[in-house]
Amino acid sequence: MTDAFDQPLDDVDVAILEQLRVARRAVDPPPAELDDRVRFAIALTDVEIEVARLQEDVLVGSGARATERTRTVTFDCDRMTIMISVVDLPEGLLRLDGWFAPPDRRRVELRLASAGSAPVSWDVMADEDGRFVFQGIGRGLAQLLVHHAQDGGATVVTPSIVL
Amino acid sequence: MSFVAGDAAMSAETVSTDRAARLARCLERAREGELSTLDEAVRELNPLLWQVARAQGLPTEEASDVVQTAWLELLRHLRTIRSPQALTAWLVTTTRREAWRVRARSRAQAHEVVDSLESRADDGPGLDELLLTEERNRVLLRHFHRLSEQCRELLGIVAEVDRPDYSVVAEALGMPRGSIGPTRGRCLAKLREMLLADPQWSPP
Repeated sequence: MTDAFDQPLDDVDVAILEQLRVARRAVDPPPAELDDRVRFAIALTDVEIEVARLQEDVLVGSGARATERTRTVTFDCDRMTIMISVVDLPEGLLRLDGWFAPPDRRRVELRLASAGSAPVSWDVMADEDGRFVFQGIGRGLAQLLVHHAQDGGATVVTPSIVL
Repeated sequence: MSFVAGDAAMSAETVSTDRAARLARCLERAREGELSTLDEAVRELNPLLWQVARAQGLPTEEASDVVQTAWLELLRHLRTIRSPQALTAWLVTTTRREAWRVRARSRAQAHEVVDSLESRADDGPGLDELLLTEERNRVLLRHFHRLSEQCRELLGIVAEVDRPDYSVVAEALGMPRGSIGPTRGRCLAKLREMLLADPQWSPP
């Protein structure tokens, strides 16, 4: 059904809109990796999720040597705040220390997609203070899932970030 | 890139029908639990969602996060979304809301950052840096950025979406349904008038 107020476009209007689309995409295209990041992030088995939004992503430390740098990332949603710190280990690997509040013994899953290989998942249990560690992980696209506690509820999911 | 008006009109028509049908299939299968079918919808809709996030003045990293968050939010709302039009409208609305949220947070953190973001958005991101091969595109964008913010946002979205669903999408902009057609007409007429008055631009 065509809306009454929807005046028809003539050839020039259509051409202007098409040129506008082409020109804007040429000037400000989405980043090449955006589709991959989104596809990775939404390839989940459970859709009963709560999204923890990226609040802050900072690099601290002297920076003189790679091993002295720490990256701290904070995610936040109504039910939970998640913080992680990522440090470089030898041989290009990483250590990820995290905690969430309010604390609970919940299963924490790290999904990781390294270039050219299928995504892998690691599971750890957080302690009663909500702390968890992933040691010796590779680089790539990463996403954290804090699974629901015994009493049910949604799994808290972060967007994907590049490690 | 070049095009001829007649071809553009015809291909836009064909593309829009194909796209609506493809999105309808993706959506149906995703609602049945086959989430990987959303991959195609991601490819189809990301350029639009990107423009929506950037139109709110966000830098590239924040705009990427906002688009991603909107898709993640979609997952638990999938079963309430019945048509490709509704899918597009829902994602545009959510992307825009998330972008506001991020912008408000940046504003609270640092006024000067937001100021520079806003002036960049007004100038049109990357306009100076990128070498546009077609002078006509450059002329068009220059006039486009002289339009009001409302006109830029509406025309930017209309240019990206299928004709049948842009009234739905314009509703996502929070405009009264009845004012969308006239506003689109007014904004497009203004742009067209400026272009036709510019000797550097020739109608295709």
